[in-house]
Amino acid sequence: MPTTMIPRPPFDPELDAILTLVSDQLPHLTLDTIQEFRALGINPLELTAEKLDEAGVTRRDLTIEGFQGADMLVSVLARADHTGNGPGIYHIHGGGMITGDRLLGPLSMLSWIVDHDAVLVTAEYRLAPEFPDPYPVEDCYAGLVWTAEHAEELGVDPDRIIIAGASAGGGLAAGTALLARDRKGPRLVGQMLICPMLDDRDESVSTLQYDAGTWTRKHNRVGWDALLGDRRGTPDVSIYAAPARATDLSGLPPAFIDCGSAEVFRDEDVAYATALWQAGVQAELHVWAGGFHGFDMLAAHTAVGQASIAARDNWAARLLGS
Amino acid sequence: MQELVGRLTALDPEASETLKVVAYFDALVAAGVGLDGLLRAAAALSGAVAGAQRGVRVSRYDAVGRRLDATADFTPPPGRVAERIRVWLERDGAPHANDEMVVERLALAVELQQRHRSPDSGLDIAVDPSRSTDERSSALARLRISAGERIRLVATSVNEAPPGAPSTIVPTRYGLLRATVDTSGGLPPRRRSGLGTWVRADHAPDSWGAAVVAYRLTDKADPIVDATDLGAMLILARSYDPEVPHEDVTRLARCDAVESAVLRALVEADSIRSAATRLGMHHSSVQARHEALTRELGYDPRTPIGRMRYVAAALLLRLSDPQSTNS
Repeated sequence: MPTTMIPRPPFDPELDAILTLVSDQLPHLTLDTIQEFRALGINPLELTAEKLDEAGVTRRDLTIEGFQGADMLVSVLARADHTGNGPGIYHIHGGGMITGDRLLGPLSMLSWIVDHDAVLVTAEYRLAPEFPDPYPVEDCYAGLVWTAEHAEELGVDPDRIIIAGASAGGGLAAGTALLARDRKGPRLVGQMLICPMLDDRDESVSTLQYDAGTWTRKHNRVGWDALLGDRRGTPDVSIYAAPARATDLSGLPPAFIDCGSAEVFRDEDVAYATALWQAGVQAELHVWAGGFHGFDMLAAHTAVGQASIAARDNWAARLLGS
Repeated sequence: MQELVGRLTALDPEASETLKVVAYFDALVAAGVGLDGLLRAAAALSGAVAGAQRGVRVSRYDAVGRRLDATADFTPPPGRVAERIRVWLERDGAPHANDEMVVERLALAVELQQRHRSPDSGLDIAVDPSRSTDERSSALARLRISAGERIRLVATSVNEAPPGAPSTIVPTRYGLLRATVDTSGGLPPRRRSGLGTWVRADHAPDSWGAAVVAYRLTDKADPIVDATDLGAMLILARSYDPEVPHEDVTRLARCDAVESAVLRALVEADSIRSAATRLGMHHSSVQARHEALTRELGYDPRTPIGRMRYVAAALLLRLSDPQSTNS
């Protein structure tokens, strides 16, 4: 139940009803209950074999080299009849930096694989707190490097790779894009940041407003504490771990950023888009009225859920379509 | 496509699907979602197409929320009718276990949504504490009840047929309930009713609040409860928010059936010995249980103040017990 007295934008009515239904079922997330949370394996959009079959998409699992040469699993999704080179989507899953797996998220992008003959690579980066910063973002970068280096055999055009992720995946995608810029490669033509988790500092107004919803201020602190430990909120945090801290966003690939008006990440996501524009980078921003964090996954059937998915698909078509 | 209620229930496998469906529609109505949103919800819940017909206008939505066309020769299945709107689910092959219930709750939600929109409905406004006195007085006037007239509200289950008197369906913290106005005290008895306090008509929200509390306290033994009979306990009951339970209540809720029976006997009997006789237990067992209960509750229920605490907690527990909103 909300205890804050700060006024805040309400949830969309259709979404409010969904929240009522799920909120008392979401287990309490603290640093101690992370394992319990992981064991639930919550994936509102499961990528089953049936769904892949229905879409005519195949899945291959491979082991590649992650950060410092550690083994890392990736899955490669492509049309069964994919030939030649198509656009590449390097996908990073969400889960607050502490939960989730590489199959959480790609279902939303299945239509891009089908419609644009894209090849999607999704990485099983190591999670905090067992593997704190910089492991997650460096694993993600290693996976991107592998994707670019193996573009030919994956059937990917190395000049048409985008990076995409939601929530913590969006934050890691932004961080990886920064690494790719500063390390002079691989080349990215776009970054899709879906309600990205960008800022460890826990100071924005939207952070204060939302102690209710799917990803609350408390959850957010748990995620960032797990990733950064005592460094959270101090100057000792890199822009790759918390992209909101970057002051120079020039030279980054065109971005799509979306979020709900009723979520913790609203202000940092809007700020990131603003900073991109100020640096002369192309960016598209959508803030959905009354959206809670992850509403597109949990409530895709609602009017605002539909609208957010359509906007994402539209941007992807503009970037990936030929 | 895994039906929405299945996916949501996966988070809590012990929750019944019925409860989830009921809770979802209650929440949609409380949030003020319109007909299209209700259809989208019904479609997502059941994994089928949900449709509605108002006059010649047909709306249909699939399980992912996409609007579907209805061709001119489209014949809707019978479904249910609410406030002159027909609603239904479309499914190829055999219906799923929840389909009928989903259509039923959809119809109920449509009825409520329409009544809120209809300029003729007044009762839902008249019992709404968030509305101004003026708004409520206008609503009463539409019902041809004067502001100073003596009335009481009666709370019953939504499954009861609408009575002759003005009635409407109201979302409450316990789910949807039917509110009926009683001006004469002569309403025919229903299976289970909570009778509100007699008030001036422009204080209808007070009577409705009391009726809801009284309804929550009905059971097989007492199917009709009059809020007036609660006396001053009504004040306590009204001020309690089950979402923020008092520790006395949560501790009491943890007692199993045996502990509850013993506790009750201890409170009501003159002595431990007579409590033991009543329970058919040995005196020393009851003594031991008394000591254990005192530790668990944090107070001795046999002291005068302890008795008061117990009675209060027992009352409030009845107001917070999870219970099917269909009862």
